[in-house]
Amino acid sequence: MENIALAEPSAQLSIWALFWQAGWVVKLVMLGLLAASIWTWAIVVDKLIAYARMRSSLNRFEQVFWSGQSLEELYRTLSDRKTTGMGAIFVAAMREWKKSFEKGAKSPIALQSRIDKAMDLALTREMERLEGRLGFLATIGSAAPFIGLFGTVVGIMTSFQAIAGSKSTNLAVVAPGIAEALLATAIGLLAAIPAVIAYNKLSSDASKIAVRMEGFSDEFSAILSRQIDEKVAQKG
Amino acid sequence: MKAGLTTSVVMHAALLGFGLLTLSAPSALEVADVESLPVDIIPIEDLTQIQQGDKTAAVNEKPAPKPTQRPDIVADAQKIGENSVDTEAKPTPEPKPRPVEAADAPPPSPEPTPKAAELPKPEPVKQPEPKPEPVPATEVKPQPEPKQEVKPDPVAETIAAETPEAESVQLPTTAPSPAARPQPPQAQTAKAPDRKEAEKPAKEASAKPKSDEKSFNADEVAALLNKEKPSGGGAKRSAEQASLGGDKSTGGSKLSQSEMDALRGQVQRCWNIPAGALDGEALKVSVKFKLDPSGALEGSPEIIAGGGGDGAARAAAEAARRAVSRCAPYNLPAEKYDAWADVIVNFDPSEMF
Repeated sequence: MENIALAEPSAQLSIWALFWQAGWVVKLVMLGLLAASIWTWAIVVDKLIAYARMRSSLNRFEQVFWSGQSLEELYRTLSDRKTTGMGAIFVAAMREWKKSFEKGAKSPIALQSRIDKAMDLALTREMERLEGRLGFLATIGSAAPFIGLFGTVVGIMTSFQAIAGSKSTNLAVVAPGIAEALLATAIGLLAAIPAVIAYNKLSSDASKIAVRMEGFSDEFSAILSRQIDEKVAQKG
Repeated sequence: MKAGLTTSVVMHAALLGFGLLTLSAPSALEVADVESLPVDIIPIEDLTQIQQGDKTAAVNEKPAPKPTQRPDIVADAQKIGENSVDTEAKPTPEPKPRPVEAADAPPPSPEPTPKAAELPKPEPVKQPEPKPEPVPATEVKPQPEPKQEVKPDPVAETIAAETPEAESVQLPTTAPSPAARPQPPQAQTAKAPDRKEAEKPAKEASAKPKSDEKSFNADEVAALLNKEKPSGGGAKRSAEQASLGGDKSTGGSKLSQSEMDALRGQVQRCWNIPAGALDGEALKVSVKFKLDPSGALEGSPEIIAGGGGDGAARAAAEAARRAVSRCAPYNLPAEKYDAWADVIVNFDPSEMF
């Protein structure tokens, strides 16, 4: 254990100096927490952008879908592009529909269930993409304070050992070590608080988007089911 | 994801940079230098002991009487006052001196007379009669007379010059002097024959010449004077008004509260409280012991109360006795030995729980 804090009791107390005086365990903890904080904010920014895009694309698709345009045409324009959200669900359902009718489907019930499965799969993939990495925010939110506390405890232990070595209980000797150790907890809290808030907000946003997409898939499934019935009646 | 990561990194870098620049070392806490207060431990004894004074007097900051610098006129004076005699009378304010202005006018004329008449005070009385007297006195007088002649003339001249003055001044003095004492004897003698008058002057003459010879002794006269002032009060000299106090100073003889506490502490240090004392009331012990002037125990401590009955009480009594003898040389103020020659200490374990 280094006796850094006690080497110069009147050491600087700026944040940089505090970090530099700390022992390697505490330094490691602080660096880890800093990295976690950076990653947390990266996820938050990324998710905010992604959700905003998703919402706008949902709005646009709904507008186009309910504009009375023929589904075949819509499928032709969308199938070429890379689609997200409702578009992906629509394309997946239409592809299944096309394949079945091109090859001459026998049972309308089986077709219906196939289409539903395709849409569920597309929905699940979309949600997975939306909610990916939210778990990391939750982890940071709950674990960062403990990690910071660990750094603090180690730092205080170190400084107390050093105090015992110096045989002086002067506050000027004790204070720098403790201040430095407390910095670890501060960084931990600094990382955890935004992570918790962001996790709560983002997960609720994601569930709202999921509800919208599920609603669309149910509606589209109903529409297709009607179409199948009509086709079967025409054939018969 | 790239956008998010870059945004985050940039944001953290900006925040850290800002923090490093602005959140540098916090300004040191300014601690005002508090001056340490000197504390004196004053024994309560000075306050609890009564000083001599007047029971009815108002409380005064300055205790009176102060010990005087002058030697006391009466050696063992007991009463306070300005008197030369120690009397029981309470001191009363002195009568104000008569206004001096009234006295200013008359003195000039009588003043010269005392100078001449100071030594032979009774002379003015005799002056009308004493002229024959010098005859018996001549036996003594002749001796100085030649001396006067031998001595330088100026002196005689001055005396001669003075005497007429004195005589001229004495003439008026004769008027007041008969008014005082000599008259009553004259009145008595008026009835009686002249012999008495003749005898008296003879007696007076025989006494007076002696006083003239021996040189006037002021001490004898002073001894006869009544020195007791009309204001009353004793002879213990003090110009101060007596402040609140008792008839006597009680200082010194009793142990003060703080000294008792000191003794208590010394005994308590050696006292092992009997263990398992459930009922403290029954374990009260009073121990009496004698101390010699050095503070050491004299004889063995005696239990005068408690300690009877069952084993616990007896154990408590023994513990008390042991405590007294173990702490034996007690540190007590030597000048109050009278107060702590015999000590009774009450041991009460119930107050210890």
